[in-house]
Amino acid sequence: MSFKSTSITIIILLACFIGLPSLVLAHGVDGNTKQFLLDNQGVSIIPFLYIGAKHMVTGYDHLLFLIGVIFFLYRTKDVLVYVTLFTIGHSLTLMSGVLNNIAVNPYLIDAIIGFSVVYKGFDNLGGFQRLFRYQPNTKLAVLIFGLFHGFGLATKLQEFQIPKDGLLENLIAFNVGVEVGQFFALMVVLIAISFWRRHRSFLQFSTVANSLLMSGGMMLVAYQLTGYFWHTIG
Amino acid sequence: MTELEHTGKAQHELDHTVQSKKTLLKATAFASLLAVIVFFVAILPAEFGIDPTGLGNLMGLTQLSGQVPVAQATIPQADTIKQSIPDQKDSVDISIPAGKGLEYKFYLSKGDAMRYGWSTKDGELLFFDFHGEPQGDTTGYFESYTVSTAKTARGSFTATFDGSHGWYWKNKGLHDVVVTLQTEGSYKIIGLK
Repeated sequence: MSFKSTSITIIILLACFIGLPSLVLAHGVDGNTKQFLLDNQGVSIIPFLYIGAKHMVTGYDHLLFLIGVIFFLYRTKDVLVYVTLFTIGHSLTLMSGVLNNIAVNPYLIDAIIGFSVVYKGFDNLGGFQRLFRYQPNTKLAVLIFGLFHGFGLATKLQEFQIPKDGLLENLIAFNVGVEVGQFFALMVVLIAISFWRRHRSFLQFSTVANSLLMSGGMMLVAYQLTGYFWHTIG
Repeated sequence: MTELEHTGKAQHELDHTVQSKKTLLKATAFASLLAVIVFFVAILPAEFGIDPTGLGNLMGLTQLSGQVPVAQATIPQADTIKQSIPDQKDSVDISIPAGKGLEYKFYLSKGDAMRYGWSTKDGELLFFDFHGEPQGDTTGYFESYTVSTAKTARGSFTATFDGSHGWYWKNKGLHDVVVTLQTEGSYKIIGLK
C-alpha cells in the first residue's frame, strides 16, 4: 500500500466523519420549511420540488443506503438499474402513502431505513454468501427497501396536514424533487467512489468502509428506536 | 483486510467480495462496538439528554438535547419571572390577515401552568393548532394539543417540557380576523412568530 493511497483513504474517511454531524443537524424539516408547509394553500410546484430535493441531499439515511448499493457496482448500466429500482420503490409508497393517508410511525419506519443500511453493509461484505451460503436477490432487496424509504419520505410530509387542495400536484413536485436531489447526491458519491477505486486502497479498505456503513446503520436504528420509546411511551 | 477472495478477472464480474468468516465476525463486532459506543457516549446525551456514561455532560453534548437546565440559560429571565410574578395576566389582540396564518407563542418551563381563552372579534371561524415545541429541538418536532376549527376556545394547560407553546391560527376567509387572547399563569411572552 503506497503512502499516497493511504492518505487519500484517510481524507475520504475524515470527510465522511466531518460531514456527518452537519448532515445530522440538517435532517428533518427545519422551522422555516415547517412554517411554509403549515401556511401553504394550493399548488406550489417549485417550493415542494425544492423541499424534496433538499430532504434527499441532507437525508443521510437515504444516502448511506445508496452508497451501500452502488459501492460494488462498477458498470454505469448496473448503477442505473439499481437506482431505478430504488426510485420505483420509494415513489410507489411515497405517493400511495400520502394520497391514501396511510399512517406509519415515523420512528419505526426510520428504524427500518437504518436497518436497510446495516443489511446492505453486511451484504457488501458477502455476509449472506459466507454464513448462509445463499445470496438474497440484490435487485429485489433494493426494491423492497425502496418501498420502506418511500414510507419514510411520506411520513415527513404527513406530519403536516397538507391541504387537499393541490395535494397531488404538490406531491408529484416533492417526488420529482426527491429524484433531483438523489441525482445530485449520487453524482457526488459516484465521482468520489470512482476516484477511490483507482487506488489500491479501495479494495483494501472496502471491508472497513462497509463495516462503518453497518455501524452507521446500527446507530440509526438505536437512535430511532429510542426516539420511538421516548415519544410514544415516555 | 487481506483475505479478499477474488482474482483479477472476478473483480470485474462480481459485485461482491466474499469475506472469510473470521473477517466477517471481526467486521460485525467492530461495527456493533463502534455503534454502541457512539450511541451511549454521543447520541443518547445529545438527542435525549440521557447520559449513562457522564461523558456527554463532560463534552457539553447534553445541552443540545433541550432536556437539561443548562439550556434554560439561553432564555433570559424565564426563571426570575417564574419566581417574582407567579401569576401573570395578559390580554392581546392579534390581527390575522385574510388567507394567512400566524403563530403566537409563550415560553413555559416544564410544570408551568397557564389558563387561556381566545375568541374572534366577530365570531369568525378559524382553523387553529395549539401546540408546543421542545426547546433546542432541531428536528422540527412539535406536539399538538388541540387541532380544530372554532371561533373561541378556553382551558388550562400544564407544560410537559421546556419550550415554546402557543397557537397557530389560519384565516381561510376573505377578510382579516382579530383574535383576542387572554392568558393567566407563569410564562414568558414570546409573541408573534
